[in-house]
Amino acid sequence: MVKRFIEKCYLAMIFILLYAPIVTLIVLSFNRSKSRAKWGGFTFQWYVEMVKNEQIIRALSTTLLVAVVSAVVATLIGTAAAIGMNAMPKKKRTLMMAGTNIPMMNADIVTGISLMLLFIRLSDVVPFFRLGLATVIFAHITFNIPYVILSVLPKLKQTNRSMYEAALDLGATPLAAFFKVVLPDIMPGVVTGFLLAFTMSLDDFIITHFTKGAGVDTLSTKIYSEVRKGIKPEIYALSALMFTTVLLLLFLINKRGEEKKERRIPSAAALRVKRAVYAVGFLLLLLVIWIGYPGKDEEKQEQIVVYNWGEYMDPDVITQFEKETGIKVVYEEFETNEIMYPKVKSGAVAYDLVCPSDYMIQRMIGEDMLAKINFDNIPNYKNIGKSYIDGAKSFDPKNEYSVPYIWGTVGILYNKKMVKEPVDSWDILWDPKYKDQILMQDSVRDSFAVALKKLGYSLNSTDMDELEEAKNLLLRQKPNVQAYVIDQVRDKMIGNEAALGVIYSGEAIYVQKENPDIDYVVPKEGSNLWLDCWVIPKNCKNKEGAEKFLNFLCRPEIGVMNFDYITYSTPNEASRKLLPEEIQKNPIAFPGDDIISRCETFRYLGEEADAYYNKLWRSIKSK
Amino acid sequence: MAKDKLIDLINISKKFDDQYVLDELNLYIRRNEFLTLLGPSGCGKTTTLRIIGGFETPDTGSVLFEGKDITSLPPYQRNLNTVFQKYALFTHMTIAENIAFGLKIKKKSQSYIQDKIKYALKLVNLDGYENRRADQLSGGQQQRIAIARAIVNEPKVLLLDEPLGALDLKLRQEMQYELMRLKEELGITFVYVTHDQEEALTMSDTIVVMNQGYIQQIGTPEDIYNEPENAFVADFIGDSNIIPSIMIEDRLVEILGARFPCVDVGFGQDNPVDVVIRPEDIELVDPEDGIIQGIVTSVIFKGVHYEMDVMANGFEWLVHSTNMVPVGTRVGIRVIPFNIQIMNKPESEDEEAVVPDE
Amino acid sequence: MNKKWLSYPYGLWMAAFIILPLLMIVYYGFTTKDGSFTFSNLTQIAYPDHLKALGLSLLLAVVSTVICLVLSYPLAMILNKKSMNQASFIVLIFILPMWMNFLLRTLAWQNLLENNGVINGVLSFFHLPQIHIINTPAAIVLGMIYNFLPFMVLPIYNSLIKIDPEIIHAAYDLGATPVIAFFRIILPLSMPGVVSGITMVFVPAMTTFVISDLLGGSKVLLIGNVIEQEFKQGYNWHVGSGMSLVLMAFILISMAFTVKYDDTEGTGLW
Repeated sequence: MVKRFIEKCYLAMIFILLYAPIVTLIVLSFNRSKSRAKWGGFTFQWYVEMVKNEQIIRALSTTLLVAVVSAVVATLIGTAAAIGMNAMPKKKRTLMMAGTNIPMMNADIVTGISLMLLFIRLSDVVPFFRLGLATVIFAHITFNIPYVILSVLPKLKQTNRSMYEAALDLGATPLAAFFKVVLPDIMPGVVTGFLLAFTMSLDDFIITHFTKGAGVDTLSTKIYSEVRKGIKPEIYALSALMFTTVLLLLFLINKRGEEKKERRIPSAAALRVKRAVYAVGFLLLLLVIWIGYPGKDEEKQEQIVVYNWGEYMDPDVITQFEKETGIKVVYEEFETNEIMYPKVKSGAVAYDLVCPSDYMIQRMIGEDMLAKINFDNIPNYKNIGKSYIDGAKSFDPKNEYSVPYIWGTVGILYNKKMVKEPVDSWDILWDPKYKDQILMQDSVRDSFAVALKKLGYSLNSTDMDELEEAKNLLLRQKPNVQAYVIDQVRDKMIGNEAALGVIYSGEAIYVQKENPDIDYVVPKEGSNLWLDCWVIPKNCKNKEGAEKFLNFLCRPEIGVMNFDYITYSTPNEASRKLLPEEIQKNPIAFPGDDIISRCETFRYLGEEADAYYNKLWRSIKSK
Repeated sequence: MAKDKLIDLINISKKFDDQYVLDELNLYIRRNEFLTLLGPSGCGKTTTLRIIGGFETPDTGSVLFEGKDITSLPPYQRNLNTVFQKYALFTHMTIAENIAFGLKIKKKSQSYIQDKIKYALKLVNLDGYENRRADQLSGGQQQRIAIARAIVNEPKVLLLDEPLGALDLKLRQEMQYELMRLKEELGITFVYVTHDQEEALTMSDTIVVMNQGYIQQIGTPEDIYNEPENAFVADFIGDSNIIPSIMIEDRLVEILGARFPCVDVGFGQDNPVDVVIRPEDIELVDPEDGIIQGIVTSVIFKGVHYEMDVMANGFEWLVHSTNMVPVGTRVGIRVIPFNIQIMNKPESEDEEAVVPDE
Repeated sequence: MNKKWLSYPYGLWMAAFIILPLLMIVYYGFTTKDGSFTFSNLTQIAYPDHLKALGLSLLLAVVSTVICLVLSYPLAMILNKKSMNQASFIVLIFILPMWMNFLLRTLAWQNLLENNGVINGVLSFFHLPQIHIINTPAAIVLGMIYNFLPFMVLPIYNSLIKIDPEIIHAAYDLGATPVIAFFRIILPLSMPGVVSGITMVFVPAMTTFVISDLLGGSKVLLIGNVIEQEFKQGYNWHVGSGMSLVLMAFILISMAFTVKYDDTEGTGLW
């Protein structure tokens, strides 16, 4: 009895471990506050908004479609392969297994990029392999098959060969013998394999990202693209809903089984209920896939493909544009410049509009990736402030390729309750008082910019001695650093996890709204002034449409809509004038010239310098 | 007598899924006895063995071993070993490792273990098989390894659960002699479970016939064969003619309307009984010399004898005889009084099983 | 009964979508940007930073694999005792959390583990000492265990259910206590499951970079992070490919003992 009690406790402990994060996420889905770090009261709001959010519903249906198709195909191919391999001589089987394990041993990013390269090459011969939904499914099948094989093969090894032979003996054809005898015997393995495949497909981000075409979004890619700006609560709501639905179905199936425990063979009624539950689950799945079916409205409609940062545009802006012009906007999001670059560079998807940052634009211009914009088509360009257009000259010297979209500074976010002294210098980030209290940006250039500026150097320095000095400085800082993060500065600051954090100005306004103890400063030594601009890649398909959209975005009222949605500073002077006065004067949203004059914009430093930066950065991280 | 008891099962009951598998079973096993639990599948014989082995715990009742209660003792603390139905050899070990398993646990010396392995393999006629793997052996060889693995531990009792069930006839007969030889050489108690009555009759000192969780009869093979206590035993052990009859008086029974003298007394007068007559005990004679008359309806040659069916007085009599009588011949049937076995009828229709009086 | 042909479709698939991309990685790994042959991409692993990252990855992967194993085995044994129906339900319960997005789940652990997080909230309510493991290797290990545990439980459970209970009875019968029976019989017979569990935990733990970013505060550099950086920040796909090849070779060598095991046992998960 004691033993049983211990067993129960142990099971309970494991379940707590498994489900604590799930419960957390479900709780977050009812959180009025958009930040995961703060409880803002109970609400159903996100569930309502989730249902209304077409993008999320579509991503969900794509996710399920990809998962179901890839899991089914992988299960078929994998099970067949396992049976074949089981019949092979040992040497050949070992060889096959080695091949099977390659996708599992490779880092996902390597698999993803290599598959992307392969699809691009193949699409020259077979247009079917143009990056799109199909390529995602192919990639998923590829990394799913090993899971199926690994689940089925051990089951096959334990099946009794004579059972198959007995079936043949009793007059079954090999096919019938397989389905009636072998398959039921290995079924648990097949089911596990299918479930694993389905699950892995649901979870994958990196491989999907590199193999998907424009406008194809799964929940994972959606979530990752939102990482920089924080996960939308609707996503929590959706996850919670999916989870509870599946759990409910499971309980229904199991409940009947439990009542009829004594009987080995379930009664007909129980079977009927079980089947009904399966059918309901399956229908639900089909319904969801159908509602948001990705290829539903693929009429020959004019369209533009836009590639933007995650959460970097009010969805209503797109709706309004589509309504006004009849041009469909295929909208895709990225998480960092670095993850955007290879996709544009490879030419796998013909984007019409991309929104990179300053230094990346410089690089893309240098590599002849961009088309010159016809500014005659963008009369609203006049709304963009002259200072920003001049600023853009640092990476686009003749202002030929880019239209400024969003800008900001990098500064220190600090919690006034935890930091009593005035903050005006980068020096405070080295103050031993704040051991383990500082959040730094997890990006080479941003972190080095802080150190270089503190030392009084340019943040575009390529001088080895200066960089060495900066590296040593950052190394000394490491004990103070709680974490190097990208997205989570704001959530951690809202949740009072850290005293100080380096962050983009746009996030500061949002953080202040959620936690009034927080203030933001651009240190006196100077900092980074960044500018994200729209550019048109050379291989675009609809340049005029893109320019139409650009012109639309430069409208004053559209600029306001976007500002309200993302709280980052707009370079659109006409929009700024429409904002409430206190925001116009807010030094965070619109810092004065005194601050801006201290700041510097990133430039692309060339491959060699990049590699050197990376090397130094790695040695900081690995210490 | 009591001293002789090695194992004593007292009032053992066991239920699976609300079904009684054993009901108030009482049985003792003597030292150095070859005891066979015999019965059809589902009769509770294997459960009985597993309760002795310690793999099942009875719901009620107790198991005594040399007078000590071992009912709740786990199997690894019982001084007896089992030869499992499907051998249950450890597939991840060599034959030598299989045999050494129990000895290593008892921390025997290396040389002792080596000697024992050699001895045991010789005993089961498999010398030189030390380094083979279990799945490289044939069924009969695996069986013998299972026995070797059990006996090297020098248990006081060896439990065997239908160990020869999966072997072909010839091998089975060989193994029967092997087992008897082993029992002689080792001088230990064997408890043997089988559904094969021939096997039971060949090897056992004592046979326990079981059905539906009850013991039907306990006795020597001769007792069981010659004096079955009820129709079930008679029917299960060997071929027999079981005929509903009426006991007219002591030493006289009316079978199918004809009166046969017999030797049984104490069954009352004009009392319905069952009569058992073994087929080899029936003499076929000239019609006028028989007590009743019939016609031979089929003849099959069986090697040692002919098996014949004789239709007489509405009953098909099974007859074994070394003399062939052609089909269609009119014959007379005679049975000497000693060979007529009278049994009480079951008390009710569905209660075939009878609790033996002890 | 020749069923070998059943694996031919997969063979084709493998050639097209596994081998071909691998060859591309090999090509990148052995060339420089201007296309000339080099070993330097591979030898970069000898940089102290890289070696350290590799060593740390190995350490963390081994630690989490061992903990996963220690946690999973008893779990699988408990599940093995359940009736078939109940057990398959519980198995599903293990897979179910994975249907919440991996990133979301890992982020949720931040909420739980942070200094002002849920766990510390509960602890302080009971006046217990606080835990400070967020942004340390311990948190990374926890994250790995959490994410990879099902991959250990399932194969072990699958190998346990196929052990004939009679074999274990035979061991008891020969005098083995439950402990001895476990180590001499159950454990060796479940080895195929253990090996495939180890593979399925060790390999992803060795290559992960997301978990170390999110729960380790990016303060801990693992070999997965190094490779990721080469692709995402350094844009040097050649070095990234070279390092991937080294990592693959390294994993193969680490798992070599399982191949040996396979030779004696005849169960081919590897």
